[in-house]
Amino acid sequence: MQELQSRIPRDPVIEAYKKDIDRTLLRENLRLTVEQRFDNLMSLQDFAEELRRAGRKLHEDKIS
Amino acid sequence: MKTKFPELLRILTHAEVDFIVVGGAAATALGSAMITYDLDIVYSRSPENIQRIVAALAPYQPYLRGAPPGLPFDWSELTVKNGLNFTLTTSLGAIDLLGEIAGGGSYHDLLSDVGQIELYGIKCLCLKLERLILTKRAAGRPKDLNVIAELEALLEETAKHEAS
Repeated sequence: MQELQSRIPRDPVIEAYKKDIDRTLLRENLRLTVEQRFDNLMSLQDFAEELRRAGRKLHEDKIS
Repeated sequence: MKTKFPELLRILTHAEVDFIVVGGAAATALGSAMITYDLDIVYSRSPENIQRIVAALAPYQPYLRGAPPGLPFDWSELTVKNGLNFTLTTSLGAIDLLGEIAGGGSYHDLLSDVGQIELYGIKCLCLKLERLILTKRAAGRPKDLNVIAELEALLEETAKHEAS
């Protein structure tokens, strides 16, 4: 892994962005199977769609 | 519309399409916490593979994503042969068929940096995390900066996870 990582030179801009990454989520994901990770992704897609629907309704209610 | 990742992967695998999962779906497979809405794959451009991919997706009404309805889009071997990268919508969700990717090249160029993933009883090839980072970096899109940062953090966390 170290050898592979060395193929990726450090970029100060990316390093700055990296400080804001929530690594607890990554650690949790690494404990899951690939299938469980996709199950979570599809649940998130459902949730995002529901949020969009709620947002649209709020916008429409404000206009009417 | 929700993308049905298991179904899309299943039909491609059952049709024996030569492909590699890349992009956001590969990131998910490898442990990314970011949400993606489409399945990105790099496919082999061999005539036989193009024939298989066209036949596999044909029943699911592939159409150019974001294009106005009613355009004369012909989902055929000739169309795929004459094009390279296709961003499609299907009745199973969004899929990007990529003949080449920036910083990665073609299906055959990427084969040295893939691993096999298994999900929903399907085995398929997925681009390794290091190569995924390199392709994102090569794309050079400002919108990817946060994605690259997450993938690099994931690479570090994966090394720690494997060492523990």
